[in-house]
Amino acid sequence: MTELPISPYPALLVGLPILMATLSLFFRTRGEALVGLIGALLTTGLAIMAFVEVVQRGAVIHILGGWEPPLGILLRMDPLAAVFIGMTALVGVFISLYAWRYFRALETTTGGLPLFWPLWLFLWAGLNGLFLSNDLFNLFVTIEVIGICAVALAVLSGKSTALSAGLRYLLAAITGSMAYLFGVALIYGSTGTLDLGLLGQVLEPGTTTTFALLVITLGLMIKMAGFPFHFWLPPAHSSALAPVSALLSALVVKGAFYILLRLWMEVFGVSLTYAAGQFIGIAGAIAVIWGSWQAFMQTSLKLIVAHSSVAQLGYLLMVFPLLILAPGVTADSADWLSSAWTAGIYQVISHAFAKASFFLSAGIIIMALGHDRIESLRDLVGHMRITAMAIGIAGVSLIGLPPSGGFMAKWMLLKGIFLSGQWWWAPVVLAGSLLTAGYVFMLLRLAFAPAREKEPFRPVPKSLEVFALLLALGSFLIVFPADSLIQFLESSEVFGTGVESILKGGVHGNN
Amino acid sequence: MSILIDILLAILGVYLAMQSLLASRLSQSVFLFFAFGLALALAWVRLGAVDVAITEAAIAAGFLGVLFLDALRDFSPRDTEEQQNLTTVQNSLSRKESKSLLLPRLALVLGLGLFLLIALEAVWKIPEGGGLTAAAETLLPESGVEHPVTAVLLNFRAYDTWLEIGVILLGLLAVFAVGGIQIYRKPIAAADDPLMRQVILFFTPVLFLFGAFLLYIGKSGPGGAFQAGVLWGAIGILLHFGGIPVYSWVPRWLGHLLLTLGLVFFLLLGFLFMAAGDNLFEYPPAYAGLLILIVETLAAISIAAALTAIFANLNQMKKEQPNDTAQK
Amino acid sequence: MEIYQIYSLTSAILFVIGLGGVFAARHFIKKIIATIIMGGGVFLCFVSFAQRDALTFADPVPHALVITGIVVAVASAAFALALARRIYQLTGEESFTNDK
Repeated sequence: MTELPISPYPALLVGLPILMATLSLFFRTRGEALVGLIGALLTTGLAIMAFVEVVQRGAVIHILGGWEPPLGILLRMDPLAAVFIGMTALVGVFISLYAWRYFRALETTTGGLPLFWPLWLFLWAGLNGLFLSNDLFNLFVTIEVIGICAVALAVLSGKSTALSAGLRYLLAAITGSMAYLFGVALIYGSTGTLDLGLLGQVLEPGTTTTFALLVITLGLMIKMAGFPFHFWLPPAHSSALAPVSALLSALVVKGAFYILLRLWMEVFGVSLTYAAGQFIGIAGAIAVIWGSWQAFMQTSLKLIVAHSSVAQLGYLLMVFPLLILAPGVTADSADWLSSAWTAGIYQVISHAFAKASFFLSAGIIIMALGHDRIESLRDLVGHMRITAMAIGIAGVSLIGLPPSGGFMAKWMLLKGIFLSGQWWWAPVVLAGSLLTAGYVFMLLRLAFAPAREKEPFRPVPKSLEVFALLLALGSFLIVFPADSLIQFLESSEVFGTGVESILKGGVHGNN
Repeated sequence: MSILIDILLAILGVYLAMQSLLASRLSQSVFLFFAFGLALALAWVRLGAVDVAITEAAIAAGFLGVLFLDALRDFSPRDTEEQQNLTTVQNSLSRKESKSLLLPRLALVLGLGLFLLIALEAVWKIPEGGGLTAAAETLLPESGVEHPVTAVLLNFRAYDTWLEIGVILLGLLAVFAVGGIQIYRKPIAAADDPLMRQVILFFTPVLFLFGAFLLYIGKSGPGGAFQAGVLWGAIGILLHFGGIPVYSWVPRWLGHLLLTLGLVFFLLLGFLFMAAGDNLFEYPPAYAGLLILIVETLAAISIAAALTAIFANLNQMKKEQPNDTAQK
Repeated sequence: MEIYQIYSLTSAILFVIGLGGVFAARHFIKKIIATIIMGGGVFLCFVSFAQRDALTFADPVPHALVITGIVVAVASAAFALALARRIYQLTGEESFTNDK
C-alpha cells in the first residue's frame, strides 16, 4: 500500500474546487459565474494532469496528515479512479460552459442563479473525493457532500414541483447514507479498520459481515436509484434546470455505483455469493425493462430522458452477476471477467456523455418553446438543426447502435453474458435496446415531421447547441481509445485483486 | 445495579423514539424528539463518550430542536385540521379501500420485523475487532494535543473534519437555494421581544465564555471546535430572537468571510505544508498544538456563523408567507 | 451480557424504528425526525463498540466519527426542514400527495 508513489494531485483535486467555490461566494452574479467558470476550467486542467500522472506512474497515493491507515486516511488514485475523474472533468467542463451561457441567457428573467457555481464546484470536489477515497467513513462524508449539493442544485429553480421532488430525493439520500453508515459501523466494530485495502485482507465472513454487506448495498442502491428504489429519480431529474439535470444524471448517480463496485470487488469478496449477484442482476433487469417502458409512455421530453436514466442504470447493475463465478468455475477459465467489468465502465462513460447531451438539448428546447411537450418537437430539424443532431446522436448511443460508446458497452456486456453462460440476461439487454429505440425514434420521427402550425421558436444562443452536440459526439469518440483505455483499466491493481477476491467469494459462498 | 440504569435508559430511548413518530400531534412529536435527544446524550455519557454527549445535546437536540420548534409555528395550526380531516376520511372509507391500505402496512411491518431480527443477530454476533485505541494511544504524543478525540478529529482524521466544516457551509448554501435568490439577498428581520433582551444581556457573555472554555479545554479534555461553535451560534440565535439580527447587520463580504474562514484557513494551512513537501493536513509535531488551536478557533467561528445564518433563514421563511403566496 | 451489548442491540432497534418511520410517517417533519432517529441508532452502534474496545480510554476513532456524523446529519436535516417549510409555504402541503 505505502510503497505506491506519493503525489500531491489527489489532495489538490479535492482542495482546489472547494477553494474556488468559497472564493466565488464573495462575488456578485456575473463575477461569481466568472470565478466559478475559472474554477471549473482549472479543475478540468488539474484532472487531466492527474490522469496523465497515473498513466505515466501507475496508481498514486496521498497520505493525509502523514498518518498511515488504519488510523489515518489515504487517498488513492488508481486507473479506475483516474478514469472516473477524467470522465467527470470532460463532462463537467462542457456542462460548465453550457451553464455559463445558459444562466447569462436567463439573467434577464431570473437575475441569474448565484448559487449554482459554488454548489457545482462543491459537488465536483465531493465527486473527486469519492473516487479517490480509500476509507469507508470518508466515503460517507463525500456521499453526504454530494447528496446535499445534488438536492440543493435540483431545487434551484424554486418551483414547488422541484422542491417537492427535491425533498423526496433528500429523504431517500439520507436514508441511503444512514443504511450505508450502519454497515460501516458493523464493519468497524468487527475489524477495527476503515481502510478499504486493509479490510480486503482482514474481513472475515460471518453473519455480521453479510448483514453489513446487505445494508451497505441497499443504501447505495437507494443512492443510485436502482430498482425498486428508483422512485425519487424521475421527478427530481426532470424538474431541475437543464445543466443541473445533466450533472445529476451524468455524474451524481455514478458515484454510488462506483462505491458499490469498489466495495464488492475489494472488500466484500468473502461474503458474496452467486445468489447475491443474481439478485442484484434481477433488480437491474427489471429496471432496464420498466424504465425503458416508462420512458416510452411519457409525453414530455425531460421525463422521457429521466426515465431512460433508470433503465440505463439498470445495465450497470447487470454487470454484478457476471463478476461472481458459478460453483465449480475456476479463475483461469473465467475469461469474460474483463469484458464484463469494462462493459460497466463503458456504460458509465457513454451514458454520462449521451445523457448530459440529452438533458442539455432538452434545456435548449425549453428555452426556445417555453415547455417540453414532445408533440411540439415537430419540425425541430427545420428550426434547430444542431440540437436535432445532438438528440439523434445521443439517442443512437443510448440505444447502443454501432459505432457508439453505448454499442461498445452493450456488446461487451453481451459478450460477457454469453461467455459466462448466464444467457438469461441477453434477452433483457436486447429488449432494453428495442424499447430505447422505440422512444428515440419516436422523438426523431417528430423532429423530422413537418409542423402542423407555426410554433414560435424563440432564438437560442448557438453556443448552447454546440456544447450539447459536442457532448453527444463525445459518446462516439470514446470508442476510439477503447483498446488503450481497457488496457489502462486492466493495469489497475484493483482490477487484479478485485477479481481475485470475487473469485474467492464465489467459491466460498457455494461451498 | 448499574446495568439496570443502562437497560432503563435503552428502554426509555426506544420508547421516546417510537412515541415521537406515533404522536398524533406534531408539537408532541417534536417535544418527544427533543427528549429522545437528551436520552441519547445520557447514553453517550454512560458509554464514556462525553464529547459526543456534548455535541448531541448542543447540536442534535439543541440546535435542531430549536429549528423544529420554530417550524412548528408554521405547521401546527394546519396539522390538527388535517388530522381531523384524515380521521373523518378514514372513517368514511369503505371496507374495501381500508383493506387495500392494510396490506402494504402489514407487509411493511413484517419486512421491518424480519430486518430487525437479522440486524439484532448481526449486532449480537459481531466479532471483536479490537478498534484503534492502541494505535491512537501510541501516536497521541505526536499529535500536539492530549485529548484522544481531539487528536483524531483535528489531526489523525483532519480531512474528514475539514470536509465536515464544508458540509455545514453547504447546509447553509442549500437553505439559501431553497429560499431562492430573494432570501439570499434580502436582509433578515428579527423577532422582537423585550423580555428576551434581558435574558440575552445575561446569556451572551456566559455563552461566549463557556464556548471559549470548551474550545480551549478541547486540547486536554472533552470539548472542541464543534461544541464551541454551537454555543457561539446560540449567541447569534438568541440575539436574533431579541431583535438584534446580527446576520443581516454584518456586510455581505464580512458575513461570507466569517462563514468560510474556518474551511479556507484549514485548507490553506494544509496547502502551505504541502508546498513544503509534506502531505495535506500534516503538521510538524512541535507546532501541531498551536496550529490545531488556531484552526479550531476559526472553525468554531465559521460554524457559529453558519448555524446563526441557517436559523435566521429558516426563521425568515414564515415571515415571507403572505407575499409569496400572493406572487405564485 | 456486557453493558455495550445493551446499547448495540438498542442501536439496531432504533435504526429499524427510524427506517419504518421514514416509510410510514406521512408528515414531512415526522419523516425528518425518523431520519435523525435512524442516525441516532447508527451512532449508538459506533459508540457502543468504542466502549467495548476501551483500554486506558475508550476508542477515540468512533467518537470522532460520530461527532462528524452528527454534524453532517444535522446539516442535512436543517436542509430538509427548509425544503419542507418552503413547500408548505408555496402549496400548503405537509406530506407527499402520491405517497410511496
